[in-house]
Amino acid sequence: MKYFKETLYDSICQEFRIDKLYFEHKTDFQHLIVFHNAQLGRVMTLDGVVQTTEADEFIYHEMMVHVPLFAHGSAKRVLIIGGGDGGMLREVLKHPIEHVTQVEIDQTVVDMAKEYLPNHSAGSYDDPRLNLVIADGMDYVRESNGQFDVIISDSTDPIGPGEILFSENFYAAAKRRLSEGGVMATQNGVPFFQPDELRTTWQRMAPYFEDLCFYCAPVPTYYGGFMAFAWGSDNTCLRGINLQVLQGRFAESGIATRYYNPGIHSASFALPQYMVDALNEAN
Amino acid sequence: MADSRRILIGAAPEERARFEALVEQHGSPLLLFDSAILRQQYQALTKALPGTDLYYAVKSHPNEHIIRELDALGAGFDVASAGEMDMLMDLQISGWRTIHTHPIKKDQEIRDALRFGATTFVVDNIDELKKLTPYRSRVGILLRVSFRSDQAVVDLSRKFGCDPDEVPAITHAANALGLHVKGLSFHVGSQCGNADKHVEAIDRCHTIMQQLNRRCSAPMGSLDIGGGFPADYAMAGFDIEAFCAPIRQALAKLPDDWHILAEPGRFLIAPAVTSVTTITGKSIRHGIRWYYLDDGVYGSFSGQIFDHAQYPLQVLTDGPRRLSILAGPTCDSIDVVAEGVELPELETGDLVIGYQMGAYTAATRTRFNLLPDAQFIHLPETSAEEIR
Repeated sequence: MKYFKETLYDSICQEFRIDKLYFEHKTDFQHLIVFHNAQLGRVMTLDGVVQTTEADEFIYHEMMVHVPLFAHGSAKRVLIIGGGDGGMLREVLKHPIEHVTQVEIDQTVVDMAKEYLPNHSAGSYDDPRLNLVIADGMDYVRESNGQFDVIISDSTDPIGPGEILFSENFYAAAKRRLSEGGVMATQNGVPFFQPDELRTTWQRMAPYFEDLCFYCAPVPTYYGGFMAFAWGSDNTCLRGINLQVLQGRFAESGIATRYYNPGIHSASFALPQYMVDALNEAN
Repeated sequence: MADSRRILIGAAPEERARFEALVEQHGSPLLLFDSAILRQQYQALTKALPGTDLYYAVKSHPNEHIIRELDALGAGFDVASAGEMDMLMDLQISGWRTIHTHPIKKDQEIRDALRFGATTFVVDNIDELKKLTPYRSRVGILLRVSFRSDQAVVDLSRKFGCDPDEVPAITHAANALGLHVKGLSFHVGSQCGNADKHVEAIDRCHTIMQQLNRRCSAPMGSLDIGGGFPADYAMAGFDIEAFCAPIRQALAKLPDDWHILAEPGRFLIAPAVTSVTTITGKSIRHGIRWYYLDDGVYGSFSGQIFDHAQYPLQVLTDGPRRLSILAGPTCDSIDVVAEGVELPELETGDLVIGYQMGAYTAATRTRFNLLPDAQFIHLPETSAEEIR
């Protein structure tokens, strides 16, 4: 194979040149590839769909981690569901948290990512604050009794191994793992091409949170403009947190970012009208 | 059973020695795959239908050697089940080169297909459209239309396909559900005697699509003309070029920007596979010679039941002809490969060769009596040359 052609849509697709194939693994109905592309660095695909690339993963990971964590301001305990590539963990550990639990369904994903996408985790799997649990994310939120200030659902797409992480049962069970005033963030696809996903998540998640909304950021290889992230919290003040407060927290943290900054944080909650309209249809 | 098949009696010594050497080496029964013939067939059909994208009907013979050869030729693949997609995935063939053509699907099959990367789906009714609604941002739909054929050996228009008159209503229902019907598909049936039905179906689809496109903001631009390209079971020198000439003329009338697809199976693979069976025993009953083979209608000759095919047979010796029956190895009396045929006296250990045995043969064999499957042998290129 010399080219990877994404099979997300029927009438359009993006294609990547494979400059070097590092890894290909097929189990049951799951097909994972890691390859190098001159423009994007290492690219990981699952079932014909781009999951992450070294060139633009920072946008996705910074926005899923720093937006909830800086908004919360004093998160001590964080739960990551999925995120086997380690990029989410890397960003979480930049914060002065006490503990992070990561629940990944498949140890081989973690091992594969450490070997073939080493820059994503950048050693963070060795951090003593981490409790790595190899389990089904649904089972974990249903059966554990831990409490977390921030929960991040870094799932694959709704068709495939991560589909249960888009179910109403998952949102309900995850909510019970959230400490008072905590925030849950989930990835929600590219609404320009997948408006149904935005609507479905709204309908399934909204019953469990006082405040449910979306924020967004453009991740180039999830093409189609903005990617949406769902935001669920019972603290209705968190999403509109004062910009100066954010600036203070950001400066104090000393965290270096490449996409996130307090201005982007505040602005990311402003949705383009096509997303607003899609959500109005869901109501 | 009236048996009108072609029977070849006798063989050149070298030809006989080659088959015997293959049995010596691999055992019996065998299915011998000659990839050079598959390539010839693929190239002949490509030439006979220029501008048409060929999607091999994997169901006709889902075998990795065959798939690999077609992959190398750049063929697409017509799949109808998760098992077929799994086989392609094992061979690292991307879903974008496939279309999913089964009109009736479980939700799990749709999800499996999308994970595999097949985004083109065939439907023929509104219930099926509704199943695709949750995936509407990802899929493109071909609406299967039924045109009944009196000539086809196997009429595929009875079980699947909507009436041509229903197309506008189903298309509008699709649009209302947010689904895009990108074109029409039809299957005039298998083993067509001529291309009249193809031509009629192309013309009618052309008219229907043009009428709809005049009113529609999301125009249809794909036409899947299915299969029906015959195998030369009579071994009379079938001319695909001549068969396809009227189809080419009909396609030439379509707009240049339409995508034309076809789903050949039988035409491509039938002649590329030859079966070898061995006589394991004989008897004379009511004056008729019975010869018992190690492969039969529950095995490689299953197409004689399911596909209504009669494969040309060859015995390798000659002599005075006697009324004979060639029976398969299972305990069932229906397991008869050929009846009422005039054959020379044959002996236990003699070989019987079957031609045009590539399509719907091994694909539909059963596990009855737990007899071993005929071994599939991918002939090396040079020895394949010799056998031809």
